[in-house]
Amino acid sequence: MTENILEIKNLVKTYPNGTRALKDISFKVKRGEFLVIIGLSGSGKSTLLRCINRLHDPTSGEIIFNGSNIATVEGKLVRQVRKKIAMIFQHFNLIPRHTVMSNVLMGRLGNMGTWASIWGRFSSDDQKMAMKYLELVGIKEKAKMRADNLSGGQQQRVAIARALTQTPEVLLADEPVASLDPATSHTVMDYLKKVNNELGITVIANLHFLSLVREYATRVIALKGGEIVFEGNPSEIDDAWFERIYGAGAREVQIH
Amino acid sequence: MKGHTVKQLIFDGIMGAYLLLVSWFMLFSSSPEAFLNLNQNTQLFVLFFLVSAGLAYFINKKGYKTAGELIFEPAHKKAQQLEAVSKLKTIWFWELGLFLFFTFFVAFEVTHFSFTELLDKDGFDGAIRLFNGLSHPNMDLLPKAVVNIVITIFMAFLSTALAIPIAFVLSFMSAKNIMNSPAAFAVYMLLRTAFNIMRSIEALIWAIIFSVWVGIGPFAGMLALMIHSVASLAKQYSEIIETVSDGPIEGILSTGASRLQMIWYAIVPQVVLPFISFTIYRWDINIRMATIIGLVGGGGIGTMLIQYQGQAMWNEVGTIILVIAFVVWFMDTASAYLREALK
Ligand SMILES: Nc1ncnc2c1ncn2[C@@H]1O[C@H](COP(=O)(O)OP(=O)(O)O)[C@@H](O)[C@H]1O
Ligand SMILES: [Mg+2]
Repeated sequence: MTENILEIKNLVKTYPNGTRALKDISFKVKRGEFLVIIGLSGSGKSTLLRCINRLHDPTSGEIIFNGSNIATVEGKLVRQVRKKIAMIFQHFNLIPRHTVMSNVLMGRLGNMGTWASIWGRFSSDDQKMAMKYLELVGIKEKAKMRADNLSGGQQQRVAIARALTQTPEVLLADEPVASLDPATSHTVMDYLKKVNNELGITVIANLHFLSLVREYATRVIALKGGEIVFEGNPSEIDDAWFERIYGAGAREVQIH
Repeated sequence: MKGHTVKQLIFDGIMGAYLLLVSWFMLFSSSPEAFLNLNQNTQLFVLFFLVSAGLAYFINKKGYKTAGELIFEPAHKKAQQLEAVSKLKTIWFWELGLFLFFTFFVAFEVTHFSFTELLDKDGFDGAIRLFNGLSHPNMDLLPKAVVNIVITIFMAFLSTALAIPIAFVLSFMSAKNIMNSPAAFAVYMLLRTAFNIMRSIEALIWAIIFSVWVGIGPFAGMLALMIHSVASLAKQYSEIIETVSDGPIEGILSTGASRLQMIWYAIVPQVVLPFISFTIYRWDINIRMATIIGLVGGGGIGTMLIQYQGQAMWNEVGTIILVIAFVVWFMDTASAYLREALK
């Protein structure tokens, strides 16, 4: 067991249309951290997370996960990586017509044979595990409801439960509360904190509101134009840093 | 030369060549032999095309607008228009006006349009006899007509049912958002082209091909409809697949699922209802098409219709038309209700 669960070295991502979303990014993530990435829209936060779990292919650089480079692996190995580095999204990305339970079980797809999964034959162990994580995020009683009948905050909790059934070591969260109201945002963030503390899963989250960052992050990285402009503790982000990250004239918005 | 100028010249060239060619036939030669002389006519067309395109280029240079310029002119040029000019003083108005006038003239000519035929006493009496027969259907024929329309309905059903699984599989292979690697894109292009060719050959032609292959009858008709349905359904299915939202796809892929699992869990739930809706509509279309295909030997009610029509047995034809009308109306209504319920 190495101390650093992830080590990003000289990561570059250039999209086919020529956009240079990430320009030579390097940083380390300690096991059990709650790392928050901030930055303006378009600064490359989503791209960074999608490179880490290989939803996108990095253009160059290395991503060392548990000691081995996963930046260039292909095929079956990519799916192994995604299983261990789970992700939740701004728009939850659940399957609307399926039940909550069924959505959570989908976290097991990576561990199943194709035929078993097409017939929907999830083992009783899988079912128990799904129930356990639904309980952890506090919506066990909604298991039989259709996912699209839930509120935004509840859907995000289902998404967290789905991610947990992957038994991941890292959980990536791409603006997990950006489409939620302030009160619900706190609930969802509290569950992420719980996952981080109780299950020891390393969390890397993109966030918009600095007040949330100060409350939840153990460490912060700020991106600007695809480059890291700040790395340190949340308390170190004073007004001068704020202006440097978000540009002169920007004002901080509070969320309580 | 700019792209829009090329398009404009081709448009005006074809317009001019058409007008000049029609004038040429009117003035000099309208004998059947002259029409059939493809070689000479092609040469004339090319000559007229070049003359017109040249003329149009010259006219536009002078600042007057031809119809081609009006249509293909870039937006930024349109914006800096000066004040309005009376239409009667524009070139494009006369160009389009002449085109319409000539086209009507030629159309009346080639369809042998004739009021004397339409109002001819003997012909009119014949039509009345026919309507008389049709409006007194021979009900003794009803059982046979019902049997035949049932054959037609099942023909349509089987052709649709057999087409569904084939179209389902092929539709994923011809959806752009799934076939996104270069190799897959080649398969996509190939399938799309094949579907377009298959669809552009009318089911009627397929029926003629299959009636030679497997013999005249319902089997040939069913095969023809099936081929046509596979192409049409696959195209419609794949267009639905191309509109699915990316969120669920990303969500499922992020769990470490395989491509097949992603299709099954993220895409299929989004497309089932529209798929079913389009399939019911296809069956509905197939019932009408199956009737027509029967006319060329595809079996069922169409074949029965053509037999009685050939013998001018209008009372019997009336019965058959009645049965067809009822079934088509019924299926149309039923399928509309079903599709509404699926929304
Ligand atoms: N699929 C894509 N193709 C091309 N450019 C993209 C794509 N996704 C993002 N970008 C561009 O990359 C840059 C970073 O985007 P993103 O990672 O989404 O930023 P953030 O999540 O911080 O808002 C932006 O300029 C964006 O327009
Ligand atoms: Mg983003």
